[in-house]
Amino acid sequence: MSQTHLSPTAPRPNLSLATGEKGTHTLPDSIPEESAAATKGPEDAAPAKKTGRFSWLKLDMTRTEWDILIGSTCLKLLLFPAYRSTDFEVHRNWLAITHSLPISKWYYDTTSEWTLDYPPFFAYFEKLLSIPAYFVDPRIVDLNNLNYGAWSVVAYQRATVVVTELVLGAAVLRFIRGAENPAMQRIISASLFLHPGFLIVDHIHFQYNGFMFGILLWSLLMARNDRKLASGFLFAVLLNFKHIYLYLAPAYFVYLLRSYCVSPTYTLLPARFLSLANAVILTFLASLGPFLLMGQLPQLLSRLFPFTRGLNHAYWAPNFWALVTAADRVLLKVVSRGQLGGLSINESGVASTSRGLVGDTVFAVLPTVKPIHTFAITVAFQTIYMGKLWTNTSYKSFVTALTLCGFTSYMFGWHVHEKAILLVLVPLSLLAAESNAYFRTFEIASIAGIYSLFPLLFTPAETVVKIVYSALWVLFVLRPIHRQVYQFPRTVTFVVIDFLERLYLAGFPLLQIFVTLFPLFARRRGAANGSVSEHSDGEESGTSPLEFLPLMVTSVYCAVGLVWAFIRLSVIYLARKD
Amino acid sequence: MHQENMKAWVVPSLVLASIWVKWAVGLGSYSGQGTPPMFGDYEAQRHWMELTIHLPTRQWYTYDLQYWGLDYPPLTAYVSWLCGIVGSWVDPLWFALDDSRGIETSGSKVFMRATVLFFDTLVYVPALVMFARVWQGTRSSRTQNLALALLLLQPALILIDFGHFQYNSVMLGFTLFAMNFFATGHDLFGAVCFVLSLGFKQMALYYAPAIGTYLLAKCVYLGPSAGSKLFIRLAIITILSFLALFLPFLPPFAPLSAILDPITRIFPFNRGLFEDKVANFWCATNVVLKWKLWAPQGALIKLSTALTAFGFFPAVATLLFSGYKLRVQPATGDEKSTSFLPKQTPILPLLPYALLTSSLSFFLFSFQVHEKTILVPLLPMTLLLSGSSPEEVTFELGMLMNNVAVFSMWPLLKRDDLGVQYIALLVLWNRLLGYNPFRTSRRSYIRLLSLVVYTAAFVLHLAELLISPPTRLPDIFPVLNVLISTPVFVLVWLWSIKRAIEVSWALGGLGSRSKVTQKPVSNSSTATKLHRFPVEGGADGKAHGSTSDIGLPRASGMRTMSLGFAQGRRRTIPRSGSVDIN
Repeated sequence: MSQTHLSPTAPRPNLSLATGEKGTHTLPDSIPEESAAATKGPEDAAPAKKTGRFSWLKLDMTRTEWDILIGSTCLKLLLFPAYRSTDFEVHRNWLAITHSLPISKWYYDTTSEWTLDYPPFFAYFEKLLSIPAYFVDPRIVDLNNLNYGAWSVVAYQRATVVVTELVLGAAVLRFIRGAENPAMQRIISASLFLHPGFLIVDHIHFQYNGFMFGILLWSLLMARNDRKLASGFLFAVLLNFKHIYLYLAPAYFVYLLRSYCVSPTYTLLPARFLSLANAVILTFLASLGPFLLMGQLPQLLSRLFPFTRGLNHAYWAPNFWALVTAADRVLLKVVSRGQLGGLSINESGVASTSRGLVGDTVFAVLPTVKPIHTFAITVAFQTIYMGKLWTNTSYKSFVTALTLCGFTSYMFGWHVHEKAILLVLVPLSLLAAESNAYFRTFEIASIAGIYSLFPLLFTPAETVVKIVYSALWVLFVLRPIHRQVYQFPRTVTFVVIDFLERLYLAGFPLLQIFVTLFPLFARRRGAANGSVSEHSDGEESGTSPLEFLPLMVTSVYCAVGLVWAFIRLSVIYLARKD
Repeated sequence: MHQENMKAWVVPSLVLASIWVKWAVGLGSYSGQGTPPMFGDYEAQRHWMELTIHLPTRQWYTYDLQYWGLDYPPLTAYVSWLCGIVGSWVDPLWFALDDSRGIETSGSKVFMRATVLFFDTLVYVPALVMFARVWQGTRSSRTQNLALALLLLQPALILIDFGHFQYNSVMLGFTLFAMNFFATGHDLFGAVCFVLSLGFKQMALYYAPAIGTYLLAKCVYLGPSAGSKLFIRLAIITILSFLALFLPFLPPFAPLSAILDPITRIFPFNRGLFEDKVANFWCATNVVLKWKLWAPQGALIKLSTALTAFGFFPAVATLLFSGYKLRVQPATGDEKSTSFLPKQTPILPLLPYALLTSSLSFFLFSFQVHEKTILVPLLPMTLLLSGSSPEEVTFELGMLMNNVAVFSMWPLLKRDDLGVQYIALLVLWNRLLGYNPFRTSRRSYIRLLSLVVYTAAFVLHLAELLISPPTRLPDIFPVLNVLISTPVFVLVWLWSIKRAIEVSWALGGLGSRSKVTQKPVSNSSTATKLHRFPVEGGADGKAHGSTSDIGLPRASGMRTMSLGFAQGRRRTIPRSGSVDIN
């Protein structure tokens, strides 16, 4: 890349087509986060950085970075007509709510079943997006125009995802500058920006995770650059965008308290403590203040935290409970054959576990799990990691603890959605190139985690998209890091573990083949059976477990990997000596 | 990306990435989606699958012709039959006779898209990989891979095949295979492949003058005895392949008259001179001269045939002339060169230019041309482009023609709701090649012309977006599109003739080196280059047998030079988006 007319230092290409312009014009969209951090937190702890604060405005991007940005944007444009879930309508409805109703009615409106259940910053964000939406097509923000699916709304909402994701792009770009190992960080940054999780969940399924993980990564970047006040502030902002990040809050709390508010000799530093407290309180006031004044806080909170759902989501998120549920099903088979007489069968559980429907999961054999149990287990595990974090508040320790915090919640939480795996994969990516142990954990968690997102896109047309994209991502992200950090295992135990892990990873193509082919053959067999014997109740009990079999197998197989990755990361973290 | 262990992965991942892009384009709409009662090309292809699996062969070309009667050659029909059989196995409703007309379920769409992807990957992609290896064998693997990426992601073909919905890549892939086999010296395989191409889609006829003349010129080149032997073999194999293709319509399987059904369907002479707005000579001049009013149908047909023949005559002439000039002369040559018949002919470098001239002359001047047909001339131009370096005229013209070709299909793509895909693929491809249409830094006429064309196209798009056409001139935008595009295609046609004459002249000068030592044409420069080529060719060694001595490296050198290799080989081509660790 040294030729004159194409070198990185040559005059920047005058990008004139649509995407190029979008790229240059919209990158400053990420300003609000950063400049907000700068202006609202005047007690910024790192004044030395002031000169460099706006340096990134110059967009010092290399040619390769431009290539990635433009190329990936083009690919995302191609996904505009792809399948979109009901989340698309959810967000359209929120555009309509925030545009056509006064703020006092936002959290009360029930015109659509998809009521507003994100914190206020996200509502403000939707309000902001609804203004241009009105000019694109007034029918987008019509409250009663339910399930509007015209090309205008599709293109507009998809475009907002692409544009707001530039927050993520800007954050990972900044991670490269000043990284310990820029070459590796470049791969990791690219891997995050091009993560299949975002492609699947944001650009096809439809959500704004790229934008919000961008804020999280920005907060982590501030932590890395030792600007902890900004880090805490950004996390507070993030919490007010989407409350799922509460899962990560313990790590932030301990980290900021120990490393920012308390001196190494355990004396409280009041000025720092107060500034942090003020920043967080002001953020929450900015978010919740209007609703507090209107006395709507209880209503708002009841929208944010509906405790009426079951243990498992429709498709079991591949966590610890998926394994328990699967064990219950196996035990049920054994018990109903009369081989284990001592156990009694809970009749309501027999019906419950055979279906993959939303609702309370009642176990047939094992004791039933209540929300309080999952809460207790989560807190117990998190306490262990927080203890470790308290004694070691380095940046890496913090990121590991943060990942484990998210991982614990994912593993043991109540009604966890499979999309929550991004809470694990994104921070874990930052540690991927640390050492072989970290990398292998990252590898297993990423492959199992990304695969566990596949059932989100159940339409056949998107199957090729998700598989090929993920395969290419795995190839181009995992292999280079693998070559950098790989060490051959030293002891026999580790050789065996290494072999088993490879075997496990090699199983994913086979799993995909099974998942693809099973419905084809099941349907043909079902059709053949149905035409021969036409009793209706046989169909009821015969086909429905089979129908969910691929999903259950996927869930259990991914759960094995994710539980193992969780154990690995816990051991690595707790055994860390630095 | 280009580290040691990754090398084996580059080609598979390039192919995989292109598959992803093609499939993602396929997520969009297709021609005639949701437009009953006739729908579009998608329904035509699907309907052929339906009728071929349900009807006896005799009725394929006669069944309900008003509703998308089959009008492609038999290989398309056989392929449709195969797709229909597999599709019916998955879901019989997709291809139920008559009842499935206009079916638009998501399942059937996925299946149809998958068949395009399958045949594209089966025929076109291997042909491209082989092309990169055979025609560019002397270049570094990195350059070969870049050329492959360029060819795999060519936006025009992806938009038409995977967006609009057609199977052009099969026809183009067979022609490309024919070219590859000619390059490796397997002329008979090449002839069979070209017959398959013709048998898949009659549009391959645009190449026929070039291919036919190339083979004839090769016979001439080989001299009376070897040449006539090859000629007879080629004639027999070509006739046999055609007979095999049309076998079900011939005795003893059908009465002799049955052969007329496919023939009359394949060549419809009863339609007009042109239908839609096509960026060719007739449509462009129609703005001034109203051809249809001015002349009767029969005269127009004759005129267009004459013009087309005039258009591809230079290609035919240069090929035959070079073949004659360079012919192997048993009397004058030493013993070695007569006993050893080189597999590659020195006239091979002329083939891409001849294909370009011939197909463009058909596109510009012939009868009943469709705007999608630009894909046919686009293939040889893109092949030439893939062998050029960014400083060359070939590169500039290749990019210009590709971009303008996509632009010329805009009215069609707009009708199919493929606007986003149009933008995305164009940006992606130009970025991949490091080509900025609006860069003005270099002073060359071609660059200046490109700038004018791109600006005009951009302004036209902008105008179309902002202004609705006046009621008096409802077709103003498509007509302007034609007026912008046609001059570019004419320019490329003229350029291809010029280049063919240049290459032919250079070849002639070299070929007669034993007698005429002082030819005026750049002999010194090419000669010095040629001293280097044997080293390159020998090091490569793959395409040439170990016995090759003087003849083969020369041929390969000329070949690569014609693809822009000679000018560009010393420069690294920094147009990839990859991270270059080295």
